[in-house]
Amino acid sequence: MKAVILAAGEGTRLRPFTVSRPKVMIPIGNRPILEYVVRAVAANGITDIILVVGYMKERIMSFFGNGSRFGVRISYAIQEKQLGTAHAALAVRDQIKEDFIMVAGDNIIDAQVISDLLKHKGSMAMLVTDSEMPSKYGVVQIESGKVMDIIEKPDKKVGNIINTGIYRFSPGIFDHLEKGVMAGKSGITHVLHSCMPRLRIEAVRSTGRWMDAVYPWDLVRLNEYAFSLSGQQTSGAIESGVTMRGPVYVGAGSRIRAGCYIEGPVSIGEGCEIGPYVTIFPTTSIGNGVHIAPFTAINNSMIMNNVSIGSHAHISRAVIDDGCRIMTGFSAPSGPAQVRVEDDFFKVEKAGSMVGEFTQIGPKVVLSAGTIVGAKSRVGAGAKVSGSLEDRSIVV
Amino acid sequence: MEGLKRLEYRGYDSAGVAMVEDGRLTILKKQGELDVLHRALPKFTGRTGIGHTRWATCGRPSDSNAHPFISCDGKLAIVHNGIIENYTSLRERLESEGHRFTSETDTEVVVHLLESHYSGDLRQALAETVKDIEGTYAIAAVLEGSQEIAAARKENPLVVGLGVNENFLASDVTALLSYTNKVLYIMDGETLSLTPKGVAVYDQEGIEVKREPSAVTWSAEDAQKGGFEHFMLKEIFEGPNAIHNTLLGALDLIENGEVLPRIDFPSVKLVACGSSFHAAMVGKYAMEEFAGVPTTLELASEYRYSPGAREAPLVILITQSGETADTLAAAREARRRGCRTLAVTNIVGSTITREVDEVLYTRAGPEIGVAATKTFLTQLLAMYLLAIRVGYGNGTLSHDSMRSALSSLRQSSNMVQSVLNHIHDIEEASRMVDKAVHCFFIGRNINYPTMMEGALKLKEISYIHAEGFAAGELKHGPLALLDSSTPVIAVAIKGDHTYEKMLANISEVAARDSPVLGVGVEGDTDLSRLCERMVYVPPVKPVFSPIPVTVALQALSYYVAKRRNCSIDKPKNLAKSVTVE
Repeated sequence: MKAVILAAGEGTRLRPFTVSRPKVMIPIGNRPILEYVVRAVAANGITDIILVVGYMKERIMSFFGNGSRFGVRISYAIQEKQLGTAHAALAVRDQIKEDFIMVAGDNIIDAQVISDLLKHKGSMAMLVTDSEMPSKYGVVQIESGKVMDIIEKPDKKVGNIINTGIYRFSPGIFDHLEKGVMAGKSGITHVLHSCMPRLRIEAVRSTGRWMDAVYPWDLVRLNEYAFSLSGQQTSGAIESGVTMRGPVYVGAGSRIRAGCYIEGPVSIGEGCEIGPYVTIFPTTSIGNGVHIAPFTAINNSMIMNNVSIGSHAHISRAVIDDGCRIMTGFSAPSGPAQVRVEDDFFKVEKAGSMVGEFTQIGPKVVLSAGTIVGAKSRVGAGAKVSGSLEDRSIVV
Repeated sequence: MEGLKRLEYRGYDSAGVAMVEDGRLTILKKQGELDVLHRALPKFTGRTGIGHTRWATCGRPSDSNAHPFISCDGKLAIVHNGIIENYTSLRERLESEGHRFTSETDTEVVVHLLESHYSGDLRQALAETVKDIEGTYAIAAVLEGSQEIAAARKENPLVVGLGVNENFLASDVTALLSYTNKVLYIMDGETLSLTPKGVAVYDQEGIEVKREPSAVTWSAEDAQKGGFEHFMLKEIFEGPNAIHNTLLGALDLIENGEVLPRIDFPSVKLVACGSSFHAAMVGKYAMEEFAGVPTTLELASEYRYSPGAREAPLVILITQSGETADTLAAAREARRRGCRTLAVTNIVGSTITREVDEVLYTRAGPEIGVAATKTFLTQLLAMYLLAIRVGYGNGTLSHDSMRSALSSLRQSSNMVQSVLNHIHDIEEASRMVDKAVHCFFIGRNINYPTMMEGALKLKEISYIHAEGFAAGELKHGPLALLDSSTPVIAVAIKGDHTYEKMLANISEVAARDSPVLGVGVEGDTDLSRLCERMVYVPPVKPVFSPIPVTVALQALSYYVAKRRNCSIDKPKNLAKSVTVE
């Protein structure tokens, strides 16, 4: 059986973290989201995988290659323009001759999720799960095990069982998708909605892990749950006088200098230089080539590749993208905040700061809880920033 | 042998096979190219065997370090890909138990462990063996007097090919395609037993796993390109990772002075050929900037026949393959002249590493496209690293400046990624060049060699006549060649002390109606105003700007060649490693 994984979209609601990578390549626990999906599929013995790629496809292709690193064979189908999931799925039409599974590449799942779906023997099935925020997804109405209807992002409460975007289909689905796309429907759920309940699709309840990030502040929560590290694995150099408790992973060529206190789960990538005297609290992931100067405290954050953080910084529930340079005395506390994304305001209970790639932050800058700083911005010394800043903003 | 040949792209420096021949185990292994092994092979009649090509990571390339390895009693043989992390402790333990080791490799512990676990069931013994191992592996084992091959995998590829009354095992589908298109992928933690009759796969708990074979419908070459249209493009996109790995291997060596521990030479001479020579040119600027040491350059093919001066400089030789004939000869000549020598190469244990006093490895990984891309980038990195080492060692750079320079280098993989993120702008810009008969690349200061390399890349793969010039030299001749059909690619990095001069040169060119493609820092409107089109790189300290600029020019050449339908990965008349003089 083949698996088709949809990985062509940008994930605009996660900007600025998708300005130079698709949502599926955002690193959670130092691994791209898509890697969790590929591993979950592979763990169920499905080794023929077609990735539908589009937005920034080279980021995906240069990471996954032909799949041999993951014990699978990956081929690629290209969706040139991002015209929705139904259109993306049609890109693999020529390569599918029998029943297959289709998986959204931008949710973290474990092997159990796929195994639940495979246990179902019929040719059409949809994997569903409970959600606390059904309004962001396709809400599913089920009668005696069959999907009766699916309502995408309902305005009013119609139930809390949602579609995970994981399906088992027969090749016949492509005719429906094509008709739907011709009729101007962009999403797979929109197409399915118009064919309900004619298409007898079984609803399969997932017992595994299914996690999604819709907005940037969700990433930190995803990072917390994604950590399933057991024990300490350290291939870097740990100087004496470093305290590490709980699962702490340190990659090759990284150096943890004396006096650091690290409480896991924490993952530190390759070629980092941390400390002396840096404290890192759970659940934090730190990418490759990161430099953190003395007397900095980091809590529950995601620091991506080649970030440099000066001394005396305090960072909580933050997401800091590749290549940011942050000077001394940086303060980024977390707390309740109102955050704006694409003209909508959201009340977030525990929001940290979110900083886009290649942003430079001068000494003694304070970012209020829930601040979003766009990519390639510059924030001058002593500035106090709140709200959402566009890419390439300059704050003096 | 055909299978091993197909896996050549993974890179290797030695190869070997083990065959069960008339019930007895025969081993043959040779350092060097596959052909060396091939010529030495007798006609085998045996039907069961394993083979391996090695890319040295632990232990230098040599006959004795090549795989397969055999047990003390000569009855078991194994091959292994991956890294055994706890091999030192395992080796000590096994040696104390009386096992004799014949190589410097981590792999050899596997065969001795296997021997100690073996009691009649080969696969079972292998399953026990891998429990002792920390690290990554794909292992295959054969036993005297048996038709069975046992194998195990963790984080290294392993795949079974299913034939009729014959079965195969390989690390990549490519090796199997001539024999079968029915394959079975093996998962992490699984072990298997393979005989001509069938295959049995077991999970970690020893329970047999049933899995449907998959059919392969792709060609051998596609297999390796992972979705990219050409190796060159794939390798351009591997740039950030190549830089990361090179730094990982070298930063400590540079910071702790393990490379060039003594700075006792009066001057430096850089010797190389082709693209490596352009890396050397950048190296000259870097060496003089960071270390203030007088630095000269010579083409390897000239240096070896040159008269030679009285004083003995440090001679740095740069060769990607480590096998370039002229550079090897130059290394010997340098030693004969009593110079200290240091080689920069991408291939562990290549010939050059035995001809010099010290080696600094770039870790770009194997490169298949004939045009150097990611390996050139890592050579640039090596130049900066050496310059910083010499500068700190001779007191020109303070501790603070050294750290700040290294920290800039750490950022370079991001710089490259950032250029790649906008590669489609470069694809668009290639329209300015693809119809041209002649094309000029101009730059100043440290970007003069960058433009030489840009021109070389363009001629290599697109067959357009391209020349790189120092922008200040235009008015001494080349300006006469300019007209509206000759595009000029010009780089000007804001912040560089030659920036203003560069703008003046660009105006000169534009005044001759030549269309100018500018390469500059994002947001530079002074430059973009003078140019017909722009390709942008992220803001960068001028001294390190060759890194992102090079990537932009590599991508430009790629797209020009693609628009002209050229054979990008194998340009006519050229070979990857030039082993003739």
